[in-house]
Amino acid sequence: MNLSDGERVISVLDKAGYQWTDNEEEANLIGILACSVRQKAIDKVYSRIHKWNKWKNHKNLITFISGCILPDDHEKFLKLFDITFQMKDLPKLPEMISNYGITTPLHLKVGIDPHNENIEQFWDVKPNYQSNFEAFIPIQNGCDKFCSFCAVPYTRGREVSRPSRDIISEVALLAAQGYKSITLLGQNVNSYGLDKKGEEITFPQLLREIGELGKRLKKDFWVYFTSPHPRDMTDEVIEVIAEYPVLAKQIHLPMQSGDDKVLMRMNRKHNMEKYRHIVESIRRIIPQATLFTDIIVGFTGETDEQFDNTRKAMEEFKFNMSYTAIYSPRPGATSHRWDDDVALEEKKRRLHILTEELRKHNFPYNNSLVGKTVRVLVKGADRKEGFLSGHTEGKLIVRFAADDENLVGQFVDVKITSASDFSMEGELVEAGSLKSEVGIPKPVATV
Amino acid sequence: MERNGMPFQTGQFLILSLKGQIDRREYSVYSGENDDFLEVLVREVEGGKVSAKLKRLKPGDQLDVDGPFGFFKFSPDMFSPQKFLFIATGTGISPFHSFVKTHPGLDYQLIHGVRYVEEAYDHNDFDPKRITLCTSADKNGDFEGRVTAFVAEQKLDLGTNCFLCGNSEMIFEMFDILTGKGIPVSNIYSEVYF
Repeated sequence: MNLSDGERVISVLDKAGYQWTDNEEEANLIGILACSVRQKAIDKVYSRIHKWNKWKNHKNLITFISGCILPDDHEKFLKLFDITFQMKDLPKLPEMISNYGITTPLHLKVGIDPHNENIEQFWDVKPNYQSNFEAFIPIQNGCDKFCSFCAVPYTRGREVSRPSRDIISEVALLAAQGYKSITLLGQNVNSYGLDKKGEEITFPQLLREIGELGKRLKKDFWVYFTSPHPRDMTDEVIEVIAEYPVLAKQIHLPMQSGDDKVLMRMNRKHNMEKYRHIVESIRRIIPQATLFTDIIVGFTGETDEQFDNTRKAMEEFKFNMSYTAIYSPRPGATSHRWDDDVALEEKKRRLHILTEELRKHNFPYNNSLVGKTVRVLVKGADRKEGFLSGHTEGKLIVRFAADDENLVGQFVDVKITSASDFSMEGELVEAGSLKSEVGIPKPVATV
Repeated sequence: MERNGMPFQTGQFLILSLKGQIDRREYSVYSGENDDFLEVLVREVEGGKVSAKLKRLKPGDQLDVDGPFGFFKFSPDMFSPQKFLFIATGTGISPFHSFVKTHPGLDYQLIHGVRYVEEAYDHNDFDPKRITLCTSADKNGDFEGRVTAFVAEQKLDLGTNCFLCGNSEMIFEMFDILTGKGIPVSNIYSEVYF
């Protein structure tokens, strides 16, 4: 989400005549788009602003901050940064900068507007896309789910859906410009439209419109979304993904824990029965889809037995990727009030166990692709010299020997020659072809 | 509070704050869907940033009311059989008060746990045959002890839809008791007061 916000900030500042620099020490205007999901990120903000404020003794420098900011931090940032604003007020940033030194009502406004009024003005800002083949489109802002480990409802306010016509126009524009990977962004993308009480289309309807657009444009691109909430995931969403080629067959479905009591404590509003039903639907309706998840280990009060239920769930669902995070209490989130009672060493041990579990399932899956030809979106040079790398439609990493940088941002066909736990290696078959796509296997049993 | 046309579904909650102030707290709606006013049940927390200020409010004072939120929504038509067990501790009785006020004629049993009998808020609004008061710090309730101890002694119909609302310790313990008695997880609905 911050990446997408950043593209809009750059666009606004570009239009205002500011010139980008990669050198922090050279800048006269420095801003931060904060993330309140983890305390570590906010600690970095404090460290940076103290450094920048010292620089002001010997250079002209204006600082600003926006993004996900908790009310307590917001009050402190008002004193530390020259300009503090909510992302919905981004169009007014040049005005705030030019008025810097004169106190503005926006600058003085304390607290977060929970209703996200004027968020449409933010969405109207045309982003300065930082890639010419991969783009992120915000479709919604805010969150109404109130998970106990998360502060987003208190930093980004209520769920507000962006008008579907604007989303579809942005997808059409990007596809026409040759973008190959487009990701729809939101805190709970599959509750899209529900805040409009029938005056906006729903998430599966939005996907269908984009699917139809893909058919009409006859362009080759993949559309992803992140992240959905299991509570709002329906068979209809999965059926629409299955129906349209442009809707990528990759689903990111955050599980967070495999234990019902932990899920209850996380206030997740889904249980393992519901999660299992969704995974079964995905496997039945789109057997070739890859499945990604998010998991938190060492959540407050998580017992060995409860953690083992998460490990068992990983064994059962055979995720292709899990973004597993060690729990850290976030001020502003409900769980911050509870004892962080799982020792760090134990959290690390649990993280290691889940990583091993993921590895165990991934290798047979990746290995089953050896000998097959898969379509890959080339993303750039690989760490291995003389190789480029990219990802499949299912977002599995593939590297192949090539040094033609013109392939970056293009689809190529790659014959897989070897597999490892988290990536595959192959040989370039043909660039830009549509004809050699092959089916991705169903999840394979763990050996 | 004046409702000003705010729609909500019984079981949902509101976020309240004193006008223009940063500190906010979540409260389940206590009144019914058809009432033309909004009620919440507030327990004053010593040193609390919101509850103490709410207590000092006078008629005519203004509040910022955000919502409604939440997924503890209740409509009897969503269930079959329509047989309900409501279990609450303290102000966790709020959504059940809203359920019963909105849907007269419900087939329910309410188990309410408090420390002292004086904390049995508005029990007259419930059918006396359908409510059991558990008091953990005096002997004046229907059952002396915690709601968990009471429910642990009961024989439950496995098709019962169980709704839990209150402090997290009660809910986690009750979850184990109910599943231990064979109630499916899919029949257990909870609203945790964190």
